[in-house]
Amino acid sequence: MGNLVQAELRKTTTTGLWWGLLIPTAVLALGWGLATGLLGQFFVDFASTSDVDEVSDFLGVTPDQWKVSLFGMARAINISTIFPMVFGALAISGEINRRTITTTFLTAPSRMHALLAKMLVYVLWGAIYGLAIMLFLGIGVVITSDSGQLPDAGGWAMLTLACVLSSVLMTMFGVGIGALIPNVAGTVVLLLLYFLVIENVLHLVLAYLEVPSIIGFLPNGSINGLTGSVAVDLFLSTAGVVPPEVEDVLRAIAGAGGALDWWWSGLVFLGWSGIVFAGGWAVTQSKDIT
Amino acid sequence: MHDGSGLIAVQNLTKQFGPVTAVQNLSFTVSPGSVTGFLGPNGAGKTTTLRMLLGLVKPTSGTATINGRPFHQLGQPGRVVGAVLEAQGFHPARSARDHLRVYAAAIGVPDAQADQVLGLVGLGSAADRKVGGFSLGMKQRLALATALLGDPQVLVLDEPANGLDPEGIAWLRTFLQSYARMGRTVLISSHLLAEVEQTVDQVVIISRGQTMFYGPLEQLRQSQQRRVLVQPSDINALATALRAEGVQAIEQLPDGRLAVSGVDSRQVADSALKAGVSIYGIQEEQVDLERLFFQLTSGQYAGYAPAQTPYKQQGGWA
Ligand SMILES: Nc1ncnc2c1ncn2[C@@H]1O[C@H](COP(=O)(O)OP(=O)(O)OP(=O)(O)O)[C@@H](O)[C@H]1O
Ligand SMILES: [Mg+2]
Repeated sequence: MGNLVQAELRKTTTTGLWWGLLIPTAVLALGWGLATGLLGQFFVDFASTSDVDEVSDFLGVTPDQWKVSLFGMARAINISTIFPMVFGALAISGEINRRTITTTFLTAPSRMHALLAKMLVYVLWGAIYGLAIMLFLGIGVVITSDSGQLPDAGGWAMLTLACVLSSVLMTMFGVGIGALIPNVAGTVVLLLLYFLVIENVLHLVLAYLEVPSIIGFLPNGSINGLTGSVAVDLFLSTAGVVPPEVEDVLRAIAGAGGALDWWWSGLVFLGWSGIVFAGGWAVTQSKDIT
Repeated sequence: MHDGSGLIAVQNLTKQFGPVTAVQNLSFTVSPGSVTGFLGPNGAGKTTTLRMLLGLVKPTSGTATINGRPFHQLGQPGRVVGAVLEAQGFHPARSARDHLRVYAAAIGVPDAQADQVLGLVGLGSAADRKVGGFSLGMKQRLALATALLGDPQVLVLDEPANGLDPEGIAWLRTFLQSYARMGRTVLISSHLLAEVEQTVDQVVIISRGQTMFYGPLEQLRQSQQRRVLVQPSDINALATALRAEGVQAIEQLPDGRLAVSGVDSRQVADSALKAGVSIYGIQEEQVDLERLFFQLTSGQYAGYAPAQTPYKQQGGWA
């Protein structure tokens, strides 16, 4: 297995795809970070000058101490991790497309071995992407935010953990989809459509039908729930007593409307990744490579 | 684990792609120490058979084993069998050396092996070039280098001469022969008997997914009788004279000559002399394996001649 993992690692490092996708990922994270700081600043200025004092009253802190950057960061992570997901999606569909899968299967004890080795390597890449996203996002936010709106050290650590986890899970999900639908264009288009459009529409419909709790069990809903819940928890931990209605609004802002606790959300999405990977494995196992 | 015998065994192998029967009840074995040619016209089922042998295509029924085991039970397949398949892929952005190092890692051989096989197939100077820029023949050489990475006991090659220059073909020929002489197994497919005639010891000839001939090439040669082609002044007189001597296999060819089987040209000439017939031309027909191959395989996707015009050719035979 170690041999196959090394082979898969070499496959990813001997072409330019990893940095070809990492650059836009970093740019997006940085841009989102900068915007987060600016928007947060704007919001805090607005809140401090107007008569929204009541809000600050029951939040128990003055607006300039609100950790508003957390919400933008949660959103930034959700969007940026689409890139590692696409990177993962190309792992198997790319090999089938270029027909290198033939040699891959000829040099592995079994197809299962080859797929597992690939999954391990892409978990590593997911973590690398996650760290890069957090780094550039952090730089952006720090540049444009007041220190009062930034999380403390523990908050940063928690966010980093959520970001890396989220990125790893998204990459795994991509790998599974790429095996399930062994067509590069089809896979990428489907993933983008689903994560950017289809499920968001679904969320609106579910909210309208007043069953928002289902959202937390959907793929995008659960992965957003992971980062969003972390952000909301961190915000609330410094905000004193908050009525449930406000908490719901905050969750929605963080992109975690209807979501479960962060670790539950992570487990739900891990479940989705597992289902998709099992499906992809079944397809790949029985496939005729001609 | 596998038995290390180097034996390839295909038994009652059948593959159905939807309505298409690509391979039908095919059986043959390939022994170590010789080069076996796997021959058949386009669409005969060669590639499908080899891919079933290599575990890439699942047979509808029947078995294909290497060293007594199906491919996925070989353990470290890259060290047992090396394969060159048609439409085998390379990532265009990867250099030849990187490509080989990826699979050297997978097989578990040292990286130095990558450079060694590159040198072996004559690609040493192109090692750092991206495969996307390679010619067909260079890709074919790289595929062969990949097959050789694990120093395998069994080599399975699907039309490896495709795109190779004459020098490359000559090299491949001697390489495969010496590989087999080391006691290893070589199975090589082609749609041209002439291409592999000088390389192979054994042949398996298939057509429409079925075995037509299976055995030593020598046996195939002997299965066709030599004929003497003779142009006499009087066809009937010569035919009568030959029949009187007990020669029965006499055939008149469309071009006006007689084809006499089972005798040599001297005997025909002597008979003609006795019968007072002049001979304008006489020739012993070479054993034409290609013709035999055609008879055995009668191409399922045979094309038409380009000059299918309504008029007959001037001075034609018809
Ligand atoms: N994936 C597939 N789906 C459907 N039919 C297929 C598939 N692969 C092969 N076939 C069919 O199976 C038959 C045998 O094809 P195969 O490629 O094995 O022939 P071949 O002997 O290798 O021919 P060639 O000399 O042209 O390479 C053909 O009729 C082909 O159309
Ligand atoms: Mg073929």
